[in-house]
Amino acid sequence: MDDLEHDIKALIIDALKLEDVQPEDIDSEEMLFGTGLGLDSIDALELGVALRRRYGLKIETITDEIKAHFANVRSLASFVRAQGQGGSEANAVA
Amino acid sequence: MNMAWRPCALIPSHNHSGAVPEIVDRLRAHNLAVFIVDDGSDAVHAERLAALEDVDHAIHAVRLDPNQGKGGAVLHGFQLAMAAGFTHVLQIDADGQHDLGAIGRLLELSRGKPQALVTGVPVYDRSVPLGRAIGRYATHIWVWIETLSLAISDSMCGLRVYPLAAVAALWADGEHIGRRMDFDTEIIVRLFWRGVEVVEQPVAVTYPEGNTSNFDLWRDNVRISRMHARLFFGMLRRLPQLLSRQRATSRHWAWIAERGAYAGLRFSGVAARLLGRRGCLVVLAPIVLYFYLTGREQRRASAAFLRQAASHGANVRVPQSFGTGFRHFMSFAARAVDTFIGWTGRMAADAVQPGQVNDLIEAERSPYGALFIVAHIGNVDLARALLDEETRRRLLVLVHTKHAENYNRLLKSYRPEAALNTWQVTDLGPAAAMELKSRVEQGAWVVIAGDRIPVNSDRVSTIPFLGRPAPFSQGPYILAALLDCPVYTLFCLRQGDHHVLDVEKLADRIVLPRQARDAALDSYAASFAARLERYAIAEPLQWYNFFDFWNPTPKEPRP
Repeated sequence: MDDLEHDIKALIIDALKLEDVQPEDIDSEEMLFGTGLGLDSIDALELGVALRRRYGLKIETITDEIKAHFANVRSLASFVRAQGQGGSEANAVA
Repeated sequence: MNMAWRPCALIPSHNHSGAVPEIVDRLRAHNLAVFIVDDGSDAVHAERLAALEDVDHAIHAVRLDPNQGKGGAVLHGFQLAMAAGFTHVLQIDADGQHDLGAIGRLLELSRGKPQALVTGVPVYDRSVPLGRAIGRYATHIWVWIETLSLAISDSMCGLRVYPLAAVAALWADGEHIGRRMDFDTEIIVRLFWRGVEVVEQPVAVTYPEGNTSNFDLWRDNVRISRMHARLFFGMLRRLPQLLSRQRATSRHWAWIAERGAYAGLRFSGVAARLLGRRGCLVVLAPIVLYFYLTGREQRRASAAFLRQAASHGANVRVPQSFGTGFRHFMSFAARAVDTFIGWTGRMAADAVQPGQVNDLIEAERSPYGALFIVAHIGNVDLARALLDEETRRRLLVLVHTKHAENYNRLLKSYRPEAALNTWQVTDLGPAAAMELKSRVEQGAWVVIAGDRIPVNSDRVSTIPFLGRPAPFSQGPYILAALLDCPVYTLFCLRQGDHHVLDVEKLADRIVLPRQARDAALDSYAASFAARLERYAIAEPLQWYNFFDFWNPTPKEPRP
């Protein structure tokens, strides 16, 4: 599995206090919000805070564009990479 | 149809002659016939004014003796102009305070709209005396009330082009026109009432050095007050026409309401300083009456709320009555006055008294921050009086609207050192949440309203309030969960002649378990609603949500 994707899954589980869920249980293509993992707008906010803190992502408010990045773990990972701070920093923190 | 347009100029003068020759020259440069009306000036000025007569160059000088007052002099000049066959009169003050360069522009506007009254709007430099400036402002507000319009933004300017036909009609109907310093304002208001369009043109005004004004502070102020009384009752008589005209012609009603509210706030600030609380409310009463009469939506909301409160044991008389509704509006004005008195630092030492404050003391002791949920009831602004300087600096107020920001800016202009930290949140995103969290970790007290629904929010709990389900925002509780800090409610209501501050803990920290998130949010919102309801029943007239609380329209909430 992609290291970054694994890292993001761990972050989701930790930030949102998902009980009894392991990173391996989350499919990278699985929808995070609505159906799929079933997260809601409060989770989106918490997750946004966690991602900002961990990867220094510039997320000001949850816009439609941001929502598209939040679709699943894979889109989040490419969002983190696109902002250019993916690999090294994430690994350093982890 | 093209109306005839033959203008002339009129200079009424009482003991001003120094600037008149230059004014006459400039008027002649526009090919205007000039009438100088010497209104009982002393011998020196009378001689100089009379010497300006030059009939070959269409300069006429006449003298009124004894002194008639400015209005008398202008009306006399109007008669002369009419008799000579002119259709319009450009009137200009004799003391040279107006920028003569504006004459051409005023004439042009009048030619383009011969049926309109063209008036200069003074743009002052720093030479204007402060007392005069405040007096002018009070008159502007009165005129807005008297015309129920902001079409006349300055009613006192002595540089205008009058259409004589309209003036003659006013005259023929025997309408009252003040003969002294009340003239400029009364004639423009009465012409406006008759449907004469008012066209405005900014004009630079300088108070010339050593200028002797003929304004008699006491006598003229009494005269002006009497004039406003006349015009105010005249407005009430004409209310139906004025309101229907306003609907037809108004620029944005919302814009006017906003501007009116802003002006009202400014006015209360000045009045609070000069008159004290009680005097201020007397002066504000007609302004409040204006908002009461024109604010149908707010009036309905007030009645609906009071009815609901009365049915739940609140001690208010039949809420449909004019008296109770008006008292409700007056209570809102009193709140503004209290706030200003608080801001100007003139509040009595015991104006705010501690009620239930054990939880407040606990919060003060903790170095960690907290979230305070407040509501639009009573006067939370005054609660700060009970806080020491250091605690006051911890406050960070979240506001939803531009309105609130305007209000705060206004307050700041009165006392910058007492300014509150505010933060406009339209959408609580990760960036704002993180920033707030770090502030709370450093001890900030975040203040948020629990009784307003942010624009476009779907995060709402429906909670019974005074017996009917009402929407309450979940925002404060979601924010509290993110901030991970204690949550308190804070209420500060007026009781007799002082306010009482109550601070009660709502939760040590808010947890929103994934499986029962909505239920948890509902229960926090319900605890808040129950407290709010208790205060609403105790003091229904201090409820300041002037919109349909149970079915708010998805517009911006009102201030």
